Amino acid sequence: MARMKFLCDADRCIECNACVTACKNEHEVPWGINRRRVVTINDGKPGERSISMACMHCTDAPCAAVCPVNCFYTTADGVVLHSKDLCIGCGYCFYACPFGAPQYPKVGNFGSRGKMDKCTFCAGGPEADGSKEEYEKYGANRLAEGKLPLCAEMCSTKSLLAGDGEIIAQIYKERVMKRGYGSGAWGWKTAYRESIES
Amino acid sequence: MLIKRTQRQRSDAQSRGSIAESLSAQGGGLDRRTFLRRSGLAGGGLAALSALPTGGVRKAEAAMAGPLSAGATVKKSICTHCAVGCTVTAEVLNGVWIGQEPSWSSPINRGSHCAKGASVRELVHSDRRLRYPMKLVNGQWTRVSWDMAVNEIGDKLSQVREKSGSDSVYWLGSAKMTNEGAYLFRKLGAFWGTNNTDHQARICHSTTVTGVANTWGYGAMTNSINDIRNSKTLLFIGSNAAEAHPVGMQHMLESKEINRANFIVFDPRMTRTAAHATEYVRIRPGTDIPVLYGMMWHILKNGWEDKEFIAQRVYGFDDLRKEVEKWTPEETERVTGVPGAQLERVAKMFATVKPATIIWCMGQTQHTVGTANVRASCIALLMTGNIGKSGAGANILRGHDNVQGATDVGLDIVTLPFYYGLAEGAWKHWSRVWEVDYDYLVSRFDEKKQMETPGIPLTRWFDAALLPKADVAQKDNVKAVFVQGHASNSITRIPESLKGLAALELLVIADPHPTTWASLAVEAGRKDGVYILPVATQFECTGSRVASNRSMQWGEQIVKPVFESKDDLEIIYLLAKKLGFADKMFKNIKVENNLPVAEDVLREINRGSWSTGYCGQSPERIKAHMKNQHKFDLVTMRAPKDDPEVGGDYYGLPWPCWGSPEVRHPGSPLLYNTNLGVMDGGGAFRPRFGIEREEKLADGTTRKVSLLADKSFPKGSEIEDGYPEFTLASLKKLGWDTDLTETEMATIKKINPANPDAVSWSLDLSGGIQRVALKHGCVPFGNGKARMNAFGLPDPIPVHREPIYTPRVDLVAKYPTLPDAKQFRLPNIGFSVQKAAVEKGIAKQFPLILSSGRLVEYEGGGEETRTNPWLAELQQDMFIEISPADAADRGIKDGGWVWVSGAENNSRARMKALVTERVGKGVAWMPFHFGGWLGGADLRKNYPAGTDPIVLGESANTITSYGYDPATGMQEPKVTLCQIVAA
Amino acid sequence: MASFLGLIRLVVGAWAFLLLVSATPASAQQVNPTASSVKEQQLLQELNRIQGRVSIPDQRSGVLEQPQGREWREFRNVTLRWIGGVAILGMIAVILIFYLTRGMVRIEGGRSGRTIVRFSGFERFVHWMTATCFVILAISGLNITFGRPLLLPLIGFEAFSEWSQWAKYAHNYLSFPFTLGVVLIFLMWIGGNIPGKVDIDWIKRGGGLFHDHPPAPRFNAGQKGIYWIVVVGGGLVAATGYQLMFPFYVSGIEGMQLAQILHSIVAVLFVAAMLAHIYIGTIGMEGAFEAMGSGEVDVNWAREHHSLWLDEQNARSRAGDANPNPAVTAAE
Repeated sequence: MARMKFLCDADRCIECNACVTACKNEHEVPWGINRRRVVTINDGKPGERSISMACMHCTDAPCAAVCPVNCFYTTADGVVLHSKDLCIGCGYCFYACPFGAPQYPKVGNFGSRGKMDKCTFCAGGPEADGSKEEYEKYGANRLAEGKLPLCAEMCSTKSLLAGDGEIIAQIYKERVMKRGYGSGAWGWKTAYRESIES
Repeated sequence: MLIKRTQRQRSDAQSRGSIAESLSAQGGGLDRRTFLRRSGLAGGGLAALSALPTGGVRKAEAAMAGPLSAGATVKKSICTHCAVGCTVTAEVLNGVWIGQEPSWSSPINRGSHCAKGASVRELVHSDRRLRYPMKLVNGQWTRVSWDMAVNEIGDKLSQVREKSGSDSVYWLGSAKMTNEGAYLFRKLGAFWGTNNTDHQARICHSTTVTGVANTWGYGAMTNSINDIRNSKTLLFIGSNAAEAHPVGMQHMLESKEINRANFIVFDPRMTRTAAHATEYVRIRPGTDIPVLYGMMWHILKNGWEDKEFIAQRVYGFDDLRKEVEKWTPEETERVTGVPGAQLERVAKMFATVKPATIIWCMGQTQHTVGTANVRASCIALLMTGNIGKSGAGANILRGHDNVQGATDVGLDIVTLPFYYGLAEGAWKHWSRVWEVDYDYLVSRFDEKKQMETPGIPLTRWFDAALLPKADVAQKDNVKAVFVQGHASNSITRIPESLKGLAALELLVIADPHPTTWASLAVEAGRKDGVYILPVATQFECTGSRVASNRSMQWGEQIVKPVFESKDDLEIIYLLAKKLGFADKMFKNIKVENNLPVAEDVLREINRGSWSTGYCGQSPERIKAHMKNQHKFDLVTMRAPKDDPEVGGDYYGLPWPCWGSPEVRHPGSPLLYNTNLGVMDGGGAFRPRFGIEREEKLADGTTRKVSLLADKSFPKGSEIEDGYPEFTLASLKKLGWDTDLTETEMATIKKINPANPDAVSWSLDLSGGIQRVALKHGCVPFGNGKARMNAFGLPDPIPVHREPIYTPRVDLVAKYPTLPDAKQFRLPNIGFSVQKAAVEKGIAKQFPLILSSGRLVEYEGGGEETRTNPWLAELQQDMFIEISPADAADRGIKDGGWVWVSGAENNSRARMKALVTERVGKGVAWMPFHFGGWLGGADLRKNYPAGTDPIVLGESANTITSYGYDPATGMQEPKVTLCQIVAA
Repeated sequence: MASFLGLIRLVVGAWAFLLLVSATPASAQQVNPTASSVKEQQLLQELNRIQGRVSIPDQRSGVLEQPQGREWREFRNVTLRWIGGVAILGMIAVILIFYLTRGMVRIEGGRSGRTIVRFSGFERFVHWMTATCFVILAISGLNITFGRPLLLPLIGFEAFSEWSQWAKYAHNYLSFPFTLGVVLIFLMWIGGNIPGKVDIDWIKRGGGLFHDHPPAPRFNAGQKGIYWIVVVGGGLVAATGYQLMFPFYVSGIEGMQLAQILHSIVAVLFVAAMLAHIYIGTIGMEGAFEAMGSGEVDVNWAREHHSLWLDEQNARSRAGDANPNPAVTAAE
């Protein structure tokens, strides 16, 4: 069974933000919620690298472990999803997440976070695949249609890879071998407790 | 409004491709099916999701919802945000654009988009778009009907024409228009009787078009972005492709990786492109020529030049050598700041690790020396033989989806469509194509002289409105501006344009958004005389667009124009009808419900565009390419020869696509490529400037030097040497005139009954001369030499000239700008301004160089992108980049507010500071996409209610200053001076 | 050995990093941005946190990676449950053992039938407001930590989530009256809660739980302890709680993790302490509840537990005038 992962090849990422707007477009994500974002390290200096980051769908996901109401579940593809019906907006997943993935709509005047929202790997939620309810709560379910996340599919430089972990790791390894450099599979060690050696 | 996309179609694995497929080209070796199978998704992924491990949350077991999925249709168009030419794949249900899918089959973008391309759906369905025509009544925006608007505008235009002449109306068109729209807009100008018809190319690549065309024949990118995959050295000078052409970067980065190519970036800023460089060279803004000469100095010193290439295909090398010799490493470093050792290293890579390409964009073009800059780049390519070859070439990245096309179809002040110029012969050619009486066209102009005189560049429309009448070389000042699809905040010297707005009698803004024309017109104090017409976005229009690499692509209408918007073509037709010449103008074009049929317009273009080779690009062929996108090779962009529909064609039939469509010329993916036969897309330099030139020698005698190629010719040519352009006379000389058919001959005779021998390949409406030339393996335009010495230009050999406002006043005496002169109907007083600036010590008052450029999230003036919430969220504040040292000197904090003041008009603007090492000390940089603020004031109230963009900000061009390229009227937004203080 | 290797790795990493950093400014001669690019593992080793620039206004999202979440998770899921479990269950056990062995502390002299006002209506209102809030806050808080293993399996996802949602609202909104109560308690009773010499004696004598009653002022050392637990503990949970309720107003994510750690540890200890307080104020001691119930305590109870206070009250009433002390009335 496939184990879905993301991999951002920072030596390809040019911070074009296509992944960000593709995500907004595909799921009609509202203003202020950033399921995916691009962070630039050493901005403006010669060592600058940008990395597109969203939920990494961790192995042994910390968000799921700390959730007080146990609203997370991992699909057979290794995608970490959650139920907005169960989520109470406590923010614990945000404290636990190494990547700042969980997002909360502001619903009250203070502190009351709404239901947590995050990247679904374009795999929807607990509702029936492709149903209206699923779309409204979680966005499109591309995986069920045999498609991969739109952020990666639309990546301008094929920097952001999404798909079976072994395959994308292989692609990355080959790239590093061919070109002779690589700044690392950002987040892999933290998320999957593995690194890609080449 | 939004239909949820539960109803989308399942993907068709065959046609859609995938990431894996697009990656496999690099050697991953995974096809889509393997990928999906191994990803557990082959069966639609249902099985993969149904079983859930321990957690309590259960996936609903219902099957994939799908009863409505059959309804969505897929439409393909072209992204409107730059010239890379990405295909946009839209899913449409019940007339609503419900989703975007990756366009896997396009060889250009292979599924990819940038932030703008991935969000274009919102452009169409935005509720902030203009909904209906409006006019300004007593300072209030008031709704009017289309009939009323067109009537009133038409009457007012005629009134202005009556009083001030036809040249007093300025027609500002757009690179966003399709070829058909831009062509009709130019034609509208011709029928109205003026050459004051311009568009964005003026302020983006006019200098490229002029400089490059004057070097080797055509003013366009010579290769393609895909072809950069073959490069071993990539030299970026004045291009930040990572932000301006992100999908292009895909090919460039893969070239860097697969070929381990040198990736060299020259830029005043350590841009996001430079972040991926293998060598970054920081230069002082405005010193492109010295740095290129500095490189050439090393090339010549070490003998790295391509001697054979120069001997066979280049004119004026000795003249150039004299200029290059002045640029010793010491002088180069003194002027540019680049150390000699670094430049020598770069020069060696460029000259010896071949093929090498130069990639440029507005960093080179937007200067008072823009034409000379691009000429210097061309010369570097010629010197090293890096032109006319795969992996080499001048890869000039253009900025709008159809800026190349709009330029080609002549939406320009210096020429009729397809670079025929403005001479009588050109007008006669087009009157034959249009089947309209030449004398009628003459009668439309104020006088025949004006008909043959280049118009006013858009950069100076307000000068043309404001200068004393005597200084404007036409009947009267500009009194009315009709702008369809062009921003005002992308034009320099905004404080002065404000006065121009106040002086106009009529301003018509036709656009999907009100733009800064509207907000600034109100700010200028206008109470009336302004109309806004809602125009459809290009996704609501059908027609062809030409990408940067000259490939033509056909865009389908994705949805019908929303609200009351109208297609560009319809607006042009309604105006022509109102002005009384629609019958003549649309004589050969079918019009359905006031909408001219795009295919018919393209066919008319085909019939008249022999000079540039749009003649073979019939709508049928172009549509077949869109349908068969997946058959074209990623690197060569060619379809297999045996394909029944597009066999042997290059993707998009990149022009020149010679002959009539029936000749089935495959297009020319690389210009001037002698390694291929002409019928395989090969070519040669175009002998456009005579066949020989008399040169004065040192001893006072003269000699004649041939401008034709010397023993260099396209593969399979029957003439194995240089030759001039083909005419009936030259065919006769060769004995090839017998190849012409009777009908072809009859047409030729009809064109010039008095002297049919003079009819050339570009005037022959039968296409016969081209067909015969091709048959014998010859290029219709001839086989000449490229010019290092471009006699006829203000600087035939490029010469360094300091910017008008330079901090290096010590260099002005040695490298002054060109003397004041009258150009394009107006005085260009750059020299006086530069002199005054030096004398007044402006550089002490305003010590920082101010440059400007692009952000990936926005485009151009930015109104449509700043209206798109998905993009606007990513860049919410206008900012200025300033170096840590300069910020510390001024007590400026990162993210803090600052006032930026400019060297002219007491201009000032309020924005946030971004303190970064990206810019060097003494240099500040602004993005040019913001608008809607002026001098610290928010002008949101000036927009018609509900149409204001989400993000507003100060325009960079509030601060930019005087400076115009003498050859093109290009503005100078890349180098001026400013001062910054904490607000 | 492993740690030694780790140290070497760290030093080498730091050296490489420094080399990299120092290489960049002087790089006009040789700038190869590709070769000098940042490396993830290097940054992680150096800083254990990777941060950069984002263009969106939410600058916190510039933190790309911060693996400390793992440590926080360990605390939340393991450490805290141990601390909480031990503290609360331990306290219950202690109370139980104490109750079984010692039983209710009786008024030795029996009820006198005469009462004295110990807490005014306002004082009692404040106490009960704070106490009510505290109980709800405690239950809703404990639910966050212990609900998932204990309650969820019993009532199921939907019901548990529904309950937790309301509990969260209650926790958030009741924090305000609770904080107010803590502030009022602090101001209202600070006078009687300054530790003094007499408290040392009181503590030495075990508060009279086992032997005779030591003399005590209005608040004995035990009560002072509770007071300070409420004031300090309440202050801490309030401060840390608000930091969590208003994310990012005060600190970044690691600050919030720390706040949560502090909040939860203080809270469970607070709960444990309050269990003791509740016990002693109810079934643990005869006559004690009345102090916060009716506000009036039996004079004998007062004499036994707060002799100094009673003396003081009596002295004050005698000094007042000849009128019977209005605070001491006959309980008919």
